[in-house]
Amino acid sequence: MADIPQWLTQPESYDPPRDRDRFLDRSIVSFVTLLSRFRSQSALERDLLWVSPVSKLAAAVLYVVLVSLARQFAFVYLMLAYTAVLLALLPGGEIRRCLTGAIAAAALAYLILLPSALAGSRYSITMIPAKAFICVTLVNILSRTTRWDRLAGALRQVLFPDLFIFVIDITMKYIFLLGEFALQMLYALRLRSVGRNRGKYGSLAGAAGTLFLKSRAMSEELYYAMECRGFTGEYRTARVRPTWRDGVFWGLNAGLVFAYFFLS
Amino acid sequence: MHIPDNYLSPVTCAVMTAAMVPVWAFAIKKVKKELPKAKLPQLGIGAALTFLMMMYNVPLPGGTTGHAVGGTLIAILMGPSAACVSVSVALLLQALLFGDGGILSFGANCFNMAFVLPFVGYYLYKFIRERAKSRLGESIGAAAGAYFGIVAASLCAAAEFGIQPILFRDAAGQPLYCPYPLSVSIPAMVIPHLLVAGPVEVLFTALILAFVKKVSPDLAEPLPGKKTRGIWGLLLALICAAPLGLLASGTAWGEWGMDEITALAGYTPGGMADGFRFTALLPDYSVSGMPEVLGYILSAVLGTAVLVIVFKLISGRKKSTAQN
Amino acid sequence: MIEFSGVSYTYDTSPALRDISFSIAAGESVCLLGPNGSGKSTLLRLLNGLIFPTEGTYRFEGLEITPAVMKRTAFAKQFHQRVGFVFQDSEAQLFCPTVFDEVAFGPRQMGFGEEQTARRADDCLALLGIGGLRDRQPYHLSGGEKKKVAVAAALALNPEVLVLDEPMNSLDPRTERALAQFLLQLEAAGKTVIVSTHDLRLAAKLSKRAILFDESHAVAADGGTAALLADRELLKKANLVDWEEE
Repeated sequence: MADIPQWLTQPESYDPPRDRDRFLDRSIVSFVTLLSRFRSQSALERDLLWVSPVSKLAAAVLYVVLVSLARQFAFVYLMLAYTAVLLALLPGGEIRRCLTGAIAAAALAYLILLPSALAGSRYSITMIPAKAFICVTLVNILSRTTRWDRLAGALRQVLFPDLFIFVIDITMKYIFLLGEFALQMLYALRLRSVGRNRGKYGSLAGAAGTLFLKSRAMSEELYYAMECRGFTGEYRTARVRPTWRDGVFWGLNAGLVFAYFFLS
Repeated sequence: MHIPDNYLSPVTCAVMTAAMVPVWAFAIKKVKKELPKAKLPQLGIGAALTFLMMMYNVPLPGGTTGHAVGGTLIAILMGPSAACVSVSVALLLQALLFGDGGILSFGANCFNMAFVLPFVGYYLYKFIRERAKSRLGESIGAAAGAYFGIVAASLCAAAEFGIQPILFRDAAGQPLYCPYPLSVSIPAMVIPHLLVAGPVEVLFTALILAFVKKVSPDLAEPLPGKKTRGIWGLLLALICAAPLGLLASGTAWGEWGMDEITALAGYTPGGMADGFRFTALLPDYSVSGMPEVLGYILSAVLGTAVLVIVFKLISGRKKSTAQN
Repeated sequence: MIEFSGVSYTYDTSPALRDISFSIAAGESVCLLGPNGSGKSTLLRLLNGLIFPTEGTYRFEGLEITPAVMKRTAFAKQFHQRVGFVFQDSEAQLFCPTVFDEVAFGPRQMGFGEEQTARRADDCLALLGIGGLRDRQPYHLSGGEKKKVAVAAALALNPEVLVLDEPMNSLDPRTERALAQFLLQLEAAGKTVIVSTHDLRLAAKLSKRAILFDESHAVAADGGTAALLADRELLKKANLVDWEEE
């Protein structure tokens, strides 16, 4: 091996040039947030909000449909109350997290619809932001109070085929695994971004391209693992059986559905 | 380009979902034919990759950042049918788990991003690559495919938005969903894609493809032997030229929207004369269309729930400051 | 140069590090010893300014490293030039199309011309004995070769501190010996070398000083490597050895 060259034995008096790499920090934040959502799944020991995942899923979809169809603010107002009650049942941290996306969606709707409201169309701006708020909140509540593997299982109970659910489960697992790899790579890029990177796109392409290659390698391994375990296409998902609580839940829902026909 | 709920009528959503059913069936059949059963779970990895590609923040000129979709890239790397499945699964998870994109509008989003984007992009890429067989030809093919793919997808989204006020109005003539007609929605959606999102998509796709080809040339999807016929090229050219034509000449579609508006001019000035009021919403705790008592009760429930929420949010804040 | 005072780090609800305090002077060679799960990787991320303490302070040359400080891009860039980091998983660290590009990445950013960049890159490749890999694609190299490329790429920045996370994991014996030799050369040249490992022989070979972490996520000992390694009770308690009492 060679001798240590001169430049390595002296400290570098380095004055970094200016550069814009907010994209790197923002990408890092996106991935870190994504991964922490996955990590917090294990903390969901017992699903919050009491009823089986399949009921929650069906109810969320049902209400999104009804809210979307509603033409009178009366029903929307009722749904706002329902949503607020659901939110109030959650712990403070979860409330904040569910609300953030919903308020952003409503605000965006206001902005988008403002020109049409000023031109005289009042219906849209009254209804759509409220509807957007309700729909996004309901989906957020579903996603944050149910463990995702059980949510996939709920999809199975709503008659999606086994293999499809398997693909979804694999997708979730690999979003996490590949996501961690992608984050490491972004950190590596950040750590070495010590100056002006004229090839920003190139570096990002390198990081994303390597991610693709890694995903290919993981596909190979997955295939071998499936072969070794004698995979034949059968796949069982964890099914959460509905209980008496679901009965009560749907009793309440029936009331709301009736109200829809009455109020809308 | 994810369309949220409530901007498209449920009927439109149903139609778009119905339109996707044969596409999904075709894509799944194609994929099942090409992959042995044990390899099918790999679709999950493809979907995971697609999902993650959408998370990268991409630098734009001026120091701002944006996102790419990567549908054409995935189509070139895995084939258009596998791309259709992957993007659909990624969109499903984004909608259900992250609230990104609507539940009802899932079909429309898949149509735009899992069908139009990968297929237009891929076949344009294939068409160009078969006629210009060099490395450069391949890059150009990928660039053109990515660009026109995303522009075509944005055009479809704009069309979905723009037909809402034409088709779905209430008895008073007010639009129930997206209130902007084609003459507004098309420029509003397509121009940013032509100018900004398109180039981003191009750079993202072409550079990553170049990297993969350089590092592992055997891993990118090989082109099948048969050459596509010229007629498809013509069709593709028409599809690509359409958005540009629409904007440049203020064509039939744009005028159609305008005519509709002028025909309904009766209500617009009326609305403006009335002024813009919020009072209709909640006078004296009653809500129009609801018996007064119910209105009172609902308001009480809503008010209490809001108080509880605010309390929980504040005490959460206090707790964290106390810890620090 | 490097000063940790009362640093704790908690991921969401689980603690990774508890009340860690130590200082490292310029030019020292230190080994962070500890079993898996003792928080060493977290500590290294803190050291490199990738994450920040939930409690306590980390000072680099007297300046506290906080999110606000690292937001100042000029400072962050200078900091990353002065502290080089080699990940445990080399695969996640290489993103350029050729080995040469990988090593030249840093110098190019720093504004050196192509000639000087090439000189630096070639120097680093020669030091690690991988000159022959210059035009190869990093993705297809063996584990040991990837590790060497990652080290060369970090070295090309001419950092004052080089931090390595479990550098010898999955390396064959010959590569391990070569890398250890190289690190000793760096130490002799005046660089501060911080290595995290659970391999006791490596610690004995590489570093004069060892900081021992145990499974309670706190510092169990801090002193001369030889003395620490001789204390078998201590090592057993920290789950670094499992020797039966003779």
